[in-house]
Amino acid sequence: MKKYKFSDIKVGLSESFEVRVVPSMMDRFLEISNDVNSLHQDSHYAKEKGFSGRVVYGLLTSSFYSTLVGVYLPGKYCILQGISIQFTKPVYIHDFLKVYGEVSYINEAYKCVDIKSTITNLKGEKVSKATIKVGIIDE
Amino acid sequence: MDRDKLFDSVQEIFRDIFDEENLIIQEKTNSDSIEEWDSLNHINLVSAIEKEFKIKFALGELMALRDVGSMIDLMIEKLNKI
Repeated sequence: MKKYKFSDIKVGLSESFEVRVVPSMMDRFLEISNDVNSLHQDSHYAKEKGFSGRVVYGLLTSSFYSTLVGVYLPGKYCILQGISIQFTKPVYIHDFLKVYGEVSYINEAYKCVDIKSTITNLKGEKVSKATIKVGIIDE
Repeated sequence: MDRDKLFDSVQEIFRDIFDEENLIIQEKTNSDSIEEWDSLNHINLVSAIEKEFKIKFALGELMALRDVGSMIDLMIEKLNKI
């Protein structure tokens, strides 16, 4: 886990990690959320609607934004204050994803930062983008 | 910048942060005047103003503010130094 303190943070500082969506993640998300929507659970239905297969829950992939700030940028001293997400492409089971975040704004007075973030697939397609607001509690 | 224009711009920021398109702020408006003006929204307000006007506030300056009017005064002071 990264341990950036507020004094370490500069605009442009970035971190990233990669993750693969596996079927068990879908099962566990279903168990937690009880979101039984057919688009996520029924591949025939999803294909009828023009998708390549079951669509991964948007909030499952968004949970990687939590990992981005809680583990990588800033990591240990992070407290999540807000997040604004847009979904731009569907994610499918077995997709490899790259989660990237870059500090875009620093509030010196309240020790909080904005992190512009994206998740892209192996084709380089942006599947979602987010602005994440985090506080840094290093003291 | 003209104080009235600045006030209008700040009012737009308040409307955006508090998601109330008809919100009217006044010189004496403070955190007691708007129910949703909590600590997180306060940070959001300050951040939005810093970004919009490309100015920075110090914690001590922010702690001395009493209301919107004193915030506008501080902003004018900083904008005149740019």
